[in-house]
Amino acid sequence: MNRLVKYYWKRTMRSRLAAFGLVYIIILVIVAIFGPFFTGDPNAVNFAEKNLPPVGFSIEHSVYDIKSGEFTTVVVKGSLKHPLGTDDKGRDLLAMLVSGARVSLYVGILATGLALIIGSVIGVTSAYFGGVVDNALMRFTDIMMTFPFFLLLVLIVFIFGPSLNLIIVVIGLTGWTGTARMVRSEALSLRTREFIQALIVLGSSNKRIIFRHLIPNVLSIIIVTATISIPGVILAEAALSFIGLGDPSVASWGRILNAGQDSLDTTWWVAVEPGILLFLTVLAFNFLGDGLRDAFDPTK
Amino acid sequence: MPRKASMREYILRRVIYAIFIAWGVFTLTFFLLRIGPSSPADKYLATLVAKGENVEELIAAVEARQGLDKPLYIQYLDYINSLLHGDWGWSFSTSMPVMELIKIHWKYSFQLILLSMLFAVFLGILIGVYSAVKQYTKADYIATFFSFIGISIPNFWLGIMLILVFSVKLGVFKTYYDTSLPMFSLANLKALVLPVITLGTGSMAAYTRYVRASTLENLRKDFVRTARAKGLPDRVVIGKHVLRNAMLPVVTIIMFDLSGVVFGGAYLTEIIFGIPGLGQISFNAIFADDYGVVVAVTLIGALVTLFFNLITDIAYTYLDPRIRYE
Repeated sequence: MNRLVKYYWKRTMRSRLAAFGLVYIIILVIVAIFGPFFTGDPNAVNFAEKNLPPVGFSIEHSVYDIKSGEFTTVVVKGSLKHPLGTDDKGRDLLAMLVSGARVSLYVGILATGLALIIGSVIGVTSAYFGGVVDNALMRFTDIMMTFPFFLLLVLIVFIFGPSLNLIIVVIGLTGWTGTARMVRSEALSLRTREFIQALIVLGSSNKRIIFRHLIPNVLSIIIVTATISIPGVILAEAALSFIGLGDPSVASWGRILNAGQDSLDTTWWVAVEPGILLFLTVLAFNFLGDGLRDAFDPTK
Repeated sequence: MPRKASMREYILRRVIYAIFIAWGVFTLTFFLLRIGPSSPADKYLATLVAKGENVEELIAAVEARQGLDKPLYIQYLDYINSLLHGDWGWSFSTSMPVMELIKIHWKYSFQLILLSMLFAVFLGILIGVYSAVKQYTKADYIATFFSFIGISIPNFWLGIMLILVFSVKLGVFKTYYDTSLPMFSLANLKALVLPVITLGTGSMAAYTRYVRASTLENLRKDFVRTARAKGLPDRVVIGKHVLRNAMLPVVTIIMFDLSGVVFGGAYLTEIIFGIPGLGQISFNAIFADDYGVVVAVTLIGALVTLFFNLITDIAYTYLDPRIRYE
């Protein structure tokens, strides 16, 4: 392992919370990749087993008996066959949540990646060229920052139809502003440093200086920004699905939550479980991001 | 004290800049809506076909009435022209001028956002300062832990959980916001408790962390030691010397956060609790292809954000005389 990577790894792992975050994220990634092969089809409808509570819980159902014409109360217990219960169509929640993890991570990582690439290129270009280029790019960044992001997301997804890839592209195309600003200010201070000046004097091409020297040097900021951005993106997708604009072909956490919202008084677990996962995932990324920021901060 | 002339010049420049940004936001919204595949006339189509009318002719008539048959740049200029003359267009999904619609609904968003911000700022500063003063004590750890939770909890889920616990299970609050309540009444305040917690918790937790960090930084400064050495009581040292300096960066964070609260949080909170604010009406407007309302709400949101940014910039020059404005 690279000596630098080892050094920062050690500094990050000093924080117990960051370590916890990393472990959680690794487990989540493994579950998202391999889980769906074990949990079965998340869309398999089975009305005979609908509304089953999670294991260890039980609920009371009022059942109408045709023969006696009376209502009898039946206690339904959760079983190990569906450890996290089932929804109103009898779909297994564990299978849905596992496939939802895939969706969330897919959206979170791809959209953040796209936003980071755009943000870094704009930030570095802006800082490196300065003058008119810098002015134009930063004014554009200001406009994008003032633009009501979520409204824009809702609008575009409504206009062009809900598809996961569209959501990723829109979040990527709108979410780069913070990165651009941060990278710009970092690159600005780098630009005046001797080694960059030396490269200019030596006649290195702009492309080479930007991609080989400026971007690697602002990498620490980019890594921290990525870690902190991913939960925001995951939440944005969940929020979109939650208000009914998610991709209908995938079981995302937000969509399960949306479905569970209407039956809080009976099948509460359908709304509770995806929310807990969302919350823990965001928490884990925040812990890790915090640890990384401290690790990269030379004053700590 | 800042020199008067340059101060005025600075404010003027900021105002012009804000107008430029607002124009940019409007332009983006306008063209985004026009490149979309669905036209506002589409909504009429389905009903008219059912009636057996000559659809082609009617589409042309509707588009002509809304100016949609003109070239795009003329529509764009017309739109700016009418905006500048105070005409915000017609909302055909609600059959009233957009301005009227906004006049009816803005209060609901305003009261929600105002109360949430008060909740977040007050508690955020209180807990943040306390946590910093008691650094590395149990209270500090608990505050830090809960602020992490507050930042990470998805606010729409928090809203649903609050409804689940307090409305469905305990029955303390209603699950839906009752619009018939008078604005200034205790019943209305009670109805807003869950929405305010839903919207305010994330911000409150974030402010707690910023206030704590900022206060800690200032507690180490020389002027604090001087103040303590002079024998000033803790209350004065922290309440006056530290807090005033610690608040500067926090003000920026709050203003920056505000646009997120207005657009992300308030939007979802209004939908969850059925509060008929601007978020709710713009949400309905998007589904109804009622573009006039969408443009108006976007623009109003941007203007509010810009206004508060401007206030922050100006407040800064007064709060911190060291800041020079160029």
